Amino acid sequence: MHPKILILKGVAFVLRYIFKRVLEMIPTLLIVSIIIFYFIHLIPGDPVRLVVGPDATSEEVSMIREEMGLNDPIFIQYMSYMQGILQGDLGKSLKTGLPVMEMFENRFKNSIYLTLFSIIWAFIIGIIIGTFSAVFKNKLPDNIGMLTAVSGISVPGFWLGLILIQFFSVQLGWLPTGGADSWKHFILPSIALGAGIMAMIARFTRSSLLETLGSDFIRTARAKGLREMIVIPKHALRNSMVSVVTITGLQFGFLLGGSVVVETVFSFPGMGRLLIDSIAFRDYPVIQALLLLFSIQFIVVNLIVDILYSFLNPKIRTISS
Amino acid sequence: MIKGNGIKLLFVLFLSMLIVACSTEGSVESDPEDNSSDKGSNDNVVIEDEGNKRDEIVIAVNENFITMDPHNSGDRNSNAVQGAMLEGLIDERDGEIVPVLAEDFEVNDDATEFTFYLREGVVFHDGQPFNAEAVKANFERITGDQSLRLYSRGFNDITDIDVIDEYTIKITLSQSNSSMLTKIVPARMISPKALKEEDLTRNPVGTGPYKFVEWVPGDHLTVELNENYWNQGQAKVQKITYRPVPENGARVAMLKTGEADFIFPVPTQNLAELEEDENIIVETNQSTIARYVSLNTMKEPFNDVRVRQALNYAIDKDAFINVVMAGFATPLDSVLPSTIFNYQQQELYQYNIERAKELLAEAGYENGFTAEIWGNTNSDTVRGMQFIQQQLSQIGVELEVLSMEEGTLSERIYGGHGPEEAEVEMWYVSWGGFPSDTDHAIRPILGGNSFPPAGGNSAYFSNPEVDQWLFEANATVDAELKRELYGKVQQKIYEEAPWIFLASDENLFGRRADLEGVYVTPNGRIHVGYAEIK
Repeated sequence: MHPKILILKGVAFVLRYIFKRVLEMIPTLLIVSIIIFYFIHLIPGDPVRLVVGPDATSEEVSMIREEMGLNDPIFIQYMSYMQGILQGDLGKSLKTGLPVMEMFENRFKNSIYLTLFSIIWAFIIGIIIGTFSAVFKNKLPDNIGMLTAVSGISVPGFWLGLILIQFFSVQLGWLPTGGADSWKHFILPSIALGAGIMAMIARFTRSSLLETLGSDFIRTARAKGLREMIVIPKHALRNSMVSVVTITGLQFGFLLGGSVVVETVFSFPGMGRLLIDSIAFRDYPVIQALLLLFSIQFIVVNLIVDILYSFLNPKIRTISS
Repeated sequence: MIKGNGIKLLFVLFLSMLIVACSTEGSVESDPEDNSSDKGSNDNVVIEDEGNKRDEIVIAVNENFITMDPHNSGDRNSNAVQGAMLEGLIDERDGEIVPVLAEDFEVNDDATEFTFYLREGVVFHDGQPFNAEAVKANFERITGDQSLRLYSRGFNDITDIDVIDEYTIKITLSQSNSSMLTKIVPARMISPKALKEEDLTRNPVGTGPYKFVEWVPGDHLTVELNENYWNQGQAKVQKITYRPVPENGARVAMLKTGEADFIFPVPTQNLAELEEDENIIVETNQSTIARYVSLNTMKEPFNDVRVRQALNYAIDKDAFINVVMAGFATPLDSVLPSTIFNYQQQELYQYNIERAKELLAEAGYENGFTAEIWGNTNSDTVRGMQFIQQQLSQIGVELEVLSMEEGTLSERIYGGHGPEEAEVEMWYVSWGGFPSDTDHAIRPILGGNSFPPAGGNSAYFSNPEVDQWLFEANATVDAELKRELYGKVQQKIYEEAPWIFLASDENLFGRRADLEGVYVTPNGRIHVGYAEIK
């Protein structure tokens, strides 16, 4: 068959696959939304009381609850909430009175950038370290690489963050301590956030690559006289990527939800801190919208990972189709 | 073939991710709305150009701003920023009421009629004139808009708002309330046009020394100098950017690098390193915060006044201040902190284990008892509770420390149960208010009508005499009589000891040495009205 037709067929397949998966998302999200809605209202604590403070009378509190619709049966509240969502209205924050959508705008953008920066450098550096460690197993590069990896995993993010601030901002004065105004503001947080993931990717790459390097087809490739520069990246590394991509995808999903610790250390306006603040205030509309968004993000990331699998390993594709 | 394409596609995917990442850098920088986008690069210039005069400052605070609607907010950070842009008829300084947009005011003898004579020639930031009609529109919003009930309940007694002439307005109450003036302080004036047209949570249009520029929630809020300010020449700094920086270490680092010119609060553990730096000045003042442990006076053994006094004698206040408050507090020697108007010092419950044991024995608890102490999960609170646990163990009182997440704690205290069913025994908590509002510093937390959930009286303390004195004091404008009545109230409450009286906090704030005129008021509001770089 002509290669172009093959590519077109491949694209059509991927599109169909994506469409099917997106359709499958709908019932999942519906169930997730019900669970989220119900459980949030089960947490003890009254948002009205938390907002008004101790010197409001109980009549005032109950009147405000009535106005906010918090006295309606939970099912009615859910229905009116879903009605809003379908019309693109996520409601207003109980605490600030701002539309939830507006509160998300900037934070969402910031969190996406931060996640991308962190994951990209972690992925690239992690694979390089992992590959060197595997190729030079138990030699100096391996030891250095794994030492880096162990430090990356064991150093707490907030500590690393504070050390980075102390060194690069206070001592050297090169980078700002916090905020999200320019690309400079993203450097330190993405280092602090990506360090652990880089380490994880390095370790996964190493163990997975070691396994592959011992397999028959690598021996065959080497026996054919192929140079290591070809064998390692083309044959071995690619076949070791499935587990690495899986772990990267999972981490990507987690990071999109924001990192409370790193956001706090760098006064970074992202999603994580918003969630914590909203939970503390029982700001139902904001919590619901955030959790729904996180679910969607996770499902989408999973979808991307699944598609990547099929490129990495034709076997998986055959089975799934 | 397919294999090759797969790799290529993967590669393309990655490249595109990289491109997206790179292009976002550009778009963040060139975002036309982002006025502060060049600040990142300016930050470091600040350090180098120490000699040159700056005209912009950055203020870092520990929490996010909630709303810019002055009639619907009570948190100190939102209030502080609003204070730069909006002004009220009156303000308070050192516990005294001082005129601002009103040049003068009168209160009738039974504190039911308040007449304000307004300043002439003042305009709002949008060019609207400030006059009696504008004031009326604001008060009508506060009393009439149902959605503001959370914070406007202090205005429930207002029956009439009359415009006497263009610059005179009279407010009439249904009952006497001499603390109404303090309630009017935070009722800041918004342009009547903005009241009708603008989203007030986001866009405050007032008469203050600074005008609103932009607010990116969670990131920063910027204001600039108002060229047409009626009181020209007070504030000199051109532009102020407020940033919420919750992490203590990061806030301190910002002050050290010059990224921030003013931070509040200064964490006590970083005090030493800041004091070493000659470019930084750390200042303190007494706050209006009273820190105490409420004792449920309806429950055994706290229903016996001797037990309550014994607990007070058993705590070493100086040690408490040093261990828990890092030395930045003063012993609470009345129900009121010394910054609250009409404060009168009482004779402190001096640390005396023997006296405490005697009192416990008299009350029939010579072997002590066990109880629960509640508090939130804040690490300072936990440290405070553990300190009290240790101190009381000396007199045989064994405490179980229960630190609860704020929402849960609030539910257990205000959950709608009657006083008899209340579970709370001891609650480690604090209360803060306006220096000029003596009533608010006592009645909502110790008044007989303020049992949870109607108020914060978690001690379930009810003393008819105290209630009567509080009522009388609030109904008179006679300063002498007020002082006398509040004196009796303080004496009685200190004697009855519904709390373990611990300490009153100090505010700790830091500034770059060349910044002057910015300070923190006793009730924790950052004041920028005289900001100037020297």
